[in-house]
Order: sequence, then structure tokens, then C-alpha cells
Amino acid sequence: MICAGIDAGSRTTKAVLWDATRNAIVAQGSVFEGVERPGLAQELLTQLLADNGLERRQVAATVATGYGRNLIEFADTTITEITCHARGVRHWAPAARTIIEIGGQDSKLIRLDAHGAVRDFAMNDRCAAGSGRFLEMVAGRLGVPLPRLGVLSQQSRAPTAISSMCVVFAETEIIGLLASGRAPADLAAGVQDAIAARVAAMAGRSLEAPVYFTGGVALIPSMATALATALAQPVLISPEPMLTGALGAAMLAARGLAADETQRGPAATEA
Amino acid sequence: MNALPRKISLAEWDARHACLVKEGPAEPSYGGPLSRHVSCRQDLRLEHLRFDNSPAALRLWNLLLTEEDRLGAHRAQGRKLVGAMKDLGTVPVMAYSLPNLIAFYPDGAWWTPCLMELSDGLFNVASRLGVEESFCPVRAMLGAFVTQAHFPLPDMLVCSVGAVCDDFSAIAQRLAALGFVIHWWEMPRRRRPDPGEEAVPLPGGLLAPAAQVEFVRTELERIRRLLAELAGQPLDESALAAGIQAANRLRRQLAELRRLVFSAEHCPLPALEVLIAEMLAIHYCSDREETSAVLGELLAEVQQRIADRHGVLDRDAVRVFWVNPVADMRAMDLLEECGGRLCGTDFMFTHALVEIPEDAPPLAALARVALADPMVGPTQDRAEQVLRAIEEVKAEALVISRIPGASHCAREGVIIRQRVQARLAIPALELEVPPLCDAMIPTLRSRLQALVETAMAQRQR
Repeated sequence: MICAGIDAGSRTTKAVLWDATRNAIVAQGSVFEGVERPGLAQELLTQLLADNGLERRQVAATVATGYGRNLIEFADTTITEITCHARGVRHWAPAARTIIEIGGQDSKLIRLDAHGAVRDFAMNDRCAAGSGRFLEMVAGRLGVPLPRLGVLSQQSRAPTAISSMCVVFAETEIIGLLASGRAPADLAAGVQDAIAARVAAMAGRSLEAPVYFTGGVALIPSMATALATALAQPVLISPEPMLTGALGAAMLAARGLAADETQRGPAATEA
Repeated sequence: MNALPRKISLAEWDARHACLVKEGPAEPSYGGPLSRHVSCRQDLRLEHLRFDNSPAALRLWNLLLTEEDRLGAHRAQGRKLVGAMKDLGTVPVMAYSLPNLIAFYPDGAWWTPCLMELSDGLFNVASRLGVEESFCPVRAMLGAFVTQAHFPLPDMLVCSVGAVCDDFSAIAQRLAALGFVIHWWEMPRRRRPDPGEEAVPLPGGLLAPAAQVEFVRTELERIRRLLAELAGQPLDESALAAGIQAANRLRRQLAELRRLVFSAEHCPLPALEVLIAEMLAIHYCSDREETSAVLGELLAEVQQRIADRHGVLDRDAVRVFWVNPVADMRAMDLLEECGGRLCGTDFMFTHALVEIPEDAPPLAALARVALADPMVGPTQDRAEQVLRAIEEVKAEALVISRIPGASHCAREGVIIRQRVQARLAIPALELEVPPLCDAMIPTLRSRLQALVETAMAQRQR
């Protein structure tokens, strides 16, 4: 049984096809532009199915998640990123007790119980200063591609303190710092530290280990180090961090179907 | 015209109203289709809300949205208007004990920018007077006094000050600086009695030193003299006692309504109507008898729905305890759209919902209730009360709504959340809801939906 998960993020749309019978990922993919382009998710799903010799009718259920989940008209239902990332990370790391997810639009901290269910969560979605959007702005200002920002920050000897907690003010601050001759590497590292400090503030005084880091920003290698320093504990990067939301959505679609079948009973299932 | 309980849009209410008028009993004088508040008063927000479809709910909304007319009518009939600021339910009980006084709550203007979707311009007026967006949205009141476009200027202004709210004190002082005469009465910060100090029990299981109760009583005594002077007749003990009894009758109605709504298996009344019904307790929407009639009809509707096993939401809606009122009423609809339902509330005026002791001298009784105001004591007291209420109603999740700029609750939400989570391990969420939350709806929806999902998952385990 194939189930689909669509994570319609603010910057990127991701899709995963999950074979619930074999408990395995059949296909995965992503496209940029996120929810800004209608129909993107549909095209992505169609492409993934075609690439794997599958037809649309073979998809038993589709769950949409992410910032633009309500725009995915073909989804059977929507589930929040909180629940989907938790499920997706647990697939790779069953022992995870805390998940940090930083995406284009927001950052989240998810606490799991011993069974892996979401116990509590916190979100920073009021200000872009704790999100991938902040890093995009900085990369643009420093004239480096976003994926190179982490490499650049690793060259820093003295990360610059960024005092502004608003991305608009921070941009002004960065322009001023660049004009005063501060090294781009120090600025890149300073911005990562500022984001990590925001997440640490959201985490409060205690976090249960192991802590996993997921979301698109987890692909920037030095970001996990900045988080580990701010939280004063190890932070592990989840496998396939871009896709954990879509994976969780696909797995939850399968679980929803299984629950429906259980409710209907064996006779109905056989019929 | 009977209809199954459900939430309907403004347009649906207009169609339903037309049928009700043809078939049903006469409406009260302030009745009519809800959409007239949009066309006549620019209460644009109504177009984005969903309402309970009962005639009782229509009457509730019409009572709320016609208060300005009512105040004008009271004045035309020669009654004196008392603007009772900040105390949220104490001075109005005293004012309504005199036949020719009407108390209202100028602070209520904080909802005007939301209702009028900022077309009122009240925030801009307040900003020009130096009270800008870092202050609580109640700064709209300042604009309403200046423009005089929303309520008639009261004949007397009374305001509690002291351990109430920094923002409000600053706004009221600005009002005084503009030449408005305000009669202040002081509210001390409630403290726990020292060992050996005489203690007085307050509503909600609280205790206060007898000296504090006596202090507040003497402050209220001063206000009593001022009210009597305005009314031109004494406010004696028996009149005050009768006023307290009338207030208690209304509070008992409200208590029963809340008990039924919060405990019903199938939610019989939407969150928005519960919020508004509770708000009536503060100053009776400028008509105590009519408020009682409105609550009575609402209560009868809820009782009937429970008897018929009808509700307005899904039966498995997650039971959510909500702390603090929202600046944008749309947020209450959002909770229900995400699969939640109210099962308990603390909208920061819980002291206006409890019965005033009738076995104590009237002013001392009012002083005790005023000192039980959740805003005047330690946050730990409030957190403890919220915790007990959550346990009582068996809430599955907690929402703590913050009011942007409101300085009195800057850390309060964190303390309440941490205490509840440490003791009850239910998911809890802090939200900041501005007067117009349209731009934040996707993120508010995500948070509320995630809260409901988390509570659902815990329920299934």
C-alpha cells in the first residue's frame, strides 16, 4: 500500500511516497518555491509516481503538512508539521526525545515522551530571526550561496555578536558591520549563534536527550554545532532533514488508513 | 423556527433572522439582523466570525453591539453615567444599587479596533497622544474619549489604581492629563497574611490580611459617597445589599451556564458566545435586567440542547482550558475550526463571576471580591487557581493567550504554563493574539491544530 506525504513549506515543497506494506520509502523529492506556486505539489507527486512506474490510483492516502498544507487540495487530510516531523524523525531515530526543526518560516522545538509521541512543543513564528529566512537574507548580503554559508562560518575566528532580534534590524546591523570591516565569516558565524540562542531561549532550562535537528536549515553543517553550544548538549542531525516532515506525513497517512480499517472491522477489510 | 444547533455566518444569520421575524415572537427593542452592525457601525469583523444559530445567541450579540445606543438612551432619560474603569466588576455593583445610575466600562473600547477592523482610528489617536503600540490595546479607550464617537462622556469617572495594571494606569493618567476628572481608588497588591496576622477568606480559596480588606473597604466607602452625591440620594446598606443580591442572581445564572457548557458531553455553545456571556458580568452591558433576561434565554437554550443531546461541535472535540481574553475574537472560532472546544476559562476577571458574600457587611463583601481579582495578587496564586480549575473540568490542553503590549502578563503565561505542565502533563500553548490577527491566522492555526493533535494522541494512549 502506497501513501503519500506532502510537506508544503514556505520555501520548498517536499514529497515522499511510503510503502506501508514494506515499511520503506519508495520515492522522495523536493522543489523550490514552496507554497508560492500553486500546483507545484501536484507536479512533484506526478513526477515521483511516473519515475517509479506508479499510477495515481495506487496512492491509497495522501496527507499534507507544512505552512501551505491547506492549499494542497488533493490531500485527504492535513496534519501539522509538529506531528509529522516527530513521526518522521522517529522513523530514523526511535530514541529521539527532543526535536529542533528550523525551516524557512519558523523554528520549532518538539518534546517527545518515552513512547515517541509528542508531549509538548514550542514555536517561534512571529519573527524571521529564528528561521531559515534569516540565513537567506544574510547569505544574500554576504554574497554567498546559502549552502556555502556554513562553510564560510567555519572559517570564523571571532563570531560577531548580532544584537538585533528582528531580521529587519539585523539586516541594517549587518550592513553596518560589513561597512566597518568585519569579516564575512565572523558575521555568518554570528548569525548562526543568534539563531541558536533563539532556539535555546525557546527550549527553556532543560531538554531531554537525545536531541535531533531537522528541517532545511539542518543541511547547513555548522548550524548543529551552534545549537549544541547554545544548548550545552550534543545535537544530532536527523537523516534526510529536509524530508522528515513529508516522510512523517506519508507514514501518518498509512496509520490513518490502518486505523480506519480497524474501526471498520475484519469483515469490512476483507470485503 | 427550530434548527439544529450549529455555527453560521453573518449572511446565514440574516436569512435566518428574516424567517424568525416572520414566524417567531417579537424581538427586544435592540433586536434586528446582525449585519446592520456592519452597515451602520462598521463592525466589519462580524463578517469574518461564525455565530451560534440560536435566537438566544442573536439576542446576546445584539445586546453587546447596541450598548452605545443604550448609553445614549439612558442619558436622554436623565440617568447619570458612571465610567467604571479597570476594576472589572466592583464599582458597577455599587452604581446599579442606585436607581438613576448606569455604570459602563470604557475599557471595553479595547475591542472596538478589532470589531471595526482598525477603521475606527482609535489606536492612531492614542499614538498621537504618546500612548503607542507598546501599550495594551486598551489604549483604544483613550482614543474613544478624545473622539467621543463611541460612547457618551460619562458624568463621573472612577478608576482603580495601584496593583492593577501598569499599562492601564499610564493610559488613565494620560486621560486625566487631558482634563478628564478621575476619582481614583487604590487597590493594594494582595499578599498572604503573615503568621499570627488576622486573615480573611476571599473567593477562590484565597486569603488576605484583614487590614488589606479594611483598606479596600474604606476606599470603596469613598466611592460610595461620590456615587451617592452624583445620584442625589444616599446609597445605604440595604440598597447596596439589594444591589449585591441582584448581581449574585446574575452571577449564578452565568455560573450555571458555564457549568453546563463546560461539562456537557457534546459542546452546546460556541466559545465566542461563552466569552461574550462572561463579559456581561463586568457591567451588564449597561442594563442589568436585560442582561439577566439574555442569560436566562441562553441558559434555557443550552439546557434544551443538552436534553436533546445536540451540540455545535464534533463530539470528540478536545477539551481546552483558555486563559486570558483575546484581542481578536476570530481566535475563538479558530480554536473550534482546529478541533478544540472550551471546557474552562479564566478571562482575567474571574472575581466578577463569583458570588459576593451576602453574610458580610456589603462594602466589606465587595472589598473581599475585589481583592480576589487575579490581576492584583501574585501570579503563583493565579496559576494555582487555573491549575485547580483545569483539574476540575478535566481539560486535555491549555491555551494561554497573551495580549500584545499588556505589561501585566509579560511573564505570567510562562509561570502558569510551567506549573500546569509540571503537575498535569497536558500540552500547553502560549499565543499572542493582536487586535486583528488575519496575517497570523496560518501560524495560529498551526499551533492550535498541533495542540489538538497532541491532546488527541495523548487521549488515544
